[in-house]
Amino acid sequence: MYKSIDEINERIRDGSVRVVSAEKMPDIVDELGVEGALREVDVVTTGTFGAMCSSGAFLNFGHPEIPIRMEKMWINNVEAYAGLAAVDCYLGATQESTIRHAEYGGAHVIEDLIAGKSVELHARAKGTDCYPRTALTNEFTLEELNQAIMVNPRNSYQCYSAATNMGDRAVKTYMGCLLAGHRNITYSGAGCLSPLANDPTFSVIGSGTPIFLGGANGVVVGEGTQSSPGNGFGTLMTSANMKDMSTDYIRAATMTGYGVTMYVGVGVPIPVLNEEIVKHTAVRDEDLKTNIVDYGTPSRDRPVIKEVTYAELKSGSIELNGEEIRCSSLSSYKKAREVAGELKSRIENGSFTMGLATRPIDALKINKPMAEKGNVRRVNEMMVSEFVTITGDESVKQAAKRLLKGETNHLPVIDAENRLIGIVTTYDVSKAFAKDEQDMTVSEIMTKNVISISPDAPVDFAARKLQQHNIGALVVIDSDRHILGLLNSYDLGDLVSGRGSN
Amino acid sequence: MVEFDAIGVQSPNIAAAILKSGVLVNVERAQIDGDEGWALLDVANADTEKFIAALTGRGVSIRIQKDAVIHNRTKCVDCGLCISICQKKVFSFDENWQLVVNAERCVLCGRCAMYCPHRALSIEK
Repeated sequence: MYKSIDEINERIRDGSVRVVSAEKMPDIVDELGVEGALREVDVVTTGTFGAMCSSGAFLNFGHPEIPIRMEKMWINNVEAYAGLAAVDCYLGATQESTIRHAEYGGAHVIEDLIAGKSVELHARAKGTDCYPRTALTNEFTLEELNQAIMVNPRNSYQCYSAATNMGDRAVKTYMGCLLAGHRNITYSGAGCLSPLANDPTFSVIGSGTPIFLGGANGVVVGEGTQSSPGNGFGTLMTSANMKDMSTDYIRAATMTGYGVTMYVGVGVPIPVLNEEIVKHTAVRDEDLKTNIVDYGTPSRDRPVIKEVTYAELKSGSIELNGEEIRCSSLSSYKKAREVAGELKSRIENGSFTMGLATRPIDALKINKPMAEKGNVRRVNEMMVSEFVTITGDESVKQAAKRLLKGETNHLPVIDAENRLIGIVTTYDVSKAFAKDEQDMTVSEIMTKNVISISPDAPVDFAARKLQQHNIGALVVIDSDRHILGLLNSYDLGDLVSGRGSN
Repeated sequence: MVEFDAIGVQSPNIAAAILKSGVLVNVERAQIDGDEGWALLDVANADTEKFIAALTGRGVSIRIQKDAVIHNRTKCVDCGLCISICQKKVFSFDENWQLVVNAERCVLCGRCAMYCPHRALSIEK
């Protein structure tokens, strides 16, 4: 048995369509069987509401009396991309205000526009014969724009890794603040209610599929950027008219220490055409697996700590190394339900009809990492291998001599087995002399918590560590704490000085 | 919340109040310097009056901290990020995945307010 999309649309028109939320589908299939469910259910609605950084909108302002071809532009001090002539731009959600920085960005401009607020446009141009104007400042509202078309390159991840932090200091990420020593776990996604979890083979979702986006009736453009359905990480590129959107389903946000992002509500209705679709939409949280990964490791290939299901994530606590760790989402399940519920009402009241995809999405595609031309520079290529050391029982006076002789500011302290146990700097030694403590031992004045690094770490990581701790050098050690060298901040040059202090 | 002025910090006020009242308290957070300080104490509801009576004295001011976390329902989207950031279990979901705030457990660390993506949480000063 199978059903056609026309039959379903006919039922939408005559009001007899049967729509259920994806949450209800597993129980229906358990009760009626696959064939029974196919007969009983016409559409399964899905929904998700979470941080989707890769979002934005095309805006068209209309031509002013003296025409301008805008080349650089800012809306409420948030820069928008203007390289698409002449009064168009693409405003990206994560772009930050030049004045308010991470507290206001592209996502906030989008939310303000949808809320009906007036925003200020400032544009510059070089001026041409056909577009003589060189500057423009104007206020506008969403209503006054010719077009405001949201086009989100990467929305609605099929599944996303959960996050924790095995490191010894808190990290501020797009997954929220991850406390040191795996004190919390965060995750994103609606699990069984998530659109792509209900159609992992892209049997119905493709270019042209009608969807709910931010409160508007929208459409799937096609495969999203970075889409990788071949290993369970498919994404969608989505689009809808911003003028039909609501701030109930589009919310600007700031992940402290990371930056601006936008919470987007996306819902995809899945027409129940055949038994394969019934089976896919019967997915439960228990069936959806993801990994908890260590965001304390600043590398693309973050170590996997544990495999879990969405059912475990939603339970609120996960066992890690024998401890119960609190676990919570950064996407909103309540809002995801509202999306699926609103979509259900629209289909039932006839204001949303179904359609088949016009082009399929490759369900086997796997995302590739960047093929970096030229090698990543590692700490062992930049470190100084000649260094002087001291033992803890030697005097501060000896430390001073050693520092002078070695022409260095950093003197690692070692034990009898040549293992790193501390560090003294010229500052520590001068301070001891100033306080008349030159006869004290090195171990009495040394810093015991030495900031160290492994030789194969990328130098960018080292530069960030130097900056975070505001120190001049890192001690390079192997896994047995034997010293291999020193990495000085002045040897890293621009890598350190070229960045901001935060 | 107990605040000490320059006189208050010079005596072992908390210890004396514990001995005098026989009430056991948990010091949740504290900062005491040479000339002023504060301590946030967790005291069982039934013992609060007794303990306050014992602690009241020169250089000490006491106020009962209740709804310290201010939750803006309009800004909140019920994402739940605050739930696992807070180690004092102030936040949880009800059966409909709506955020519930149990402000009595709050120790005023301010982490939830700092990291709420929607700036929907603040701490009463």
